[in-house]
Amino acid sequence: MAAADLNTIRATIEARLATELAGSPVIPVVFHNMPYTPTPNSSWVQCQTQFGANEFLTQGGTSDSDNRIVGLVIFNIFSAAGVGPGANYVIGKRVRDLYNRINVSGVYFDAPEGPQALTPAPEGYFQTQVRVTFEFIEEL
Amino acid sequence: MAFYRGEEGSVKFDDAGSSNSAITSTRSWSLTLDKEVLSTTVMGDTYGGNVGGIIQGTGSVEVIYTASSADETAAFIDHINTATDEGTASFELFLDTSGDKKISFDGVVNSAELSATVGEIEIITVNFTTNGTITTAI
Repeated sequence: MAAADLNTIRATIEARLATELAGSPVIPVVFHNMPYTPTPNSSWVQCQTQFGANEFLTQGGTSDSDNRIVGLVIFNIFSAAGVGPGANYVIGKRVRDLYNRINVSGVYFDAPEGPQALTPAPEGYFQTQVRVTFEFIEEL
Repeated sequence: MAFYRGEEGSVKFDDAGSSNSAITSTRSWSLTLDKEVLSTTVMGDTYGGNVGGIIQGTGSVEVIYTASSADETAAFIDHINTATDEGTASFELFLDTSGDKKISFDGVVNSAELSATVGEIEIITVNFTTNGTITTAI
């Protein structure tokens, strides 16, 4: 076994979203530290993967032992303002269904929170947020 | 002076009592050693007298269930289901990662608690009682 590659975990999470939203209807996705200028009145999703507090899971030294890596994925969903929440929630369901209680390549996702409407939203947009906590067992 | 943390501990076991192997994914272990106290007080004494008697221990090991069959883990978890247990299973409880500091003994697994809780990793707690000599190399 080996130490966890956090970039692999991040890629597992992000690739799943990118694949889903590349399907019809296509929704632009923006990940951490990427520039993006949205088209007015369009829908788009921002995905932020964060790693949080980790902990020892089992006994042992630097080998033959396990750690628990905990993280949070935040999806900010933007859609046109002034036309109701329906279009936004359709995207929210697609996002939510992608991660709801599943295990992908050893990344365990919990039940998602949201979509929760956020105010104030950026001018011209209605914004909701879906949050999903996840954990990964690092096997050393 | 050295300090030790719980994650440095580990457990080895052999149900046949000969060649111990590691138990994978142990989360904790504990051992309580008890010594009987025998009174030597006789009539006319002003103060009570006591001497030590029989020593034995009880303890537990918490194992995270991983379905491991590569070592003694499966045998350890399943040892409670042994029909004729003569108490010859070998235990080693390690205090550090060097393998030098340990408590070893033969024993009987007298209970096991298996549980599965939503949102939590599955844990099996194995409780044991010592049988015979207890060697403390600490």
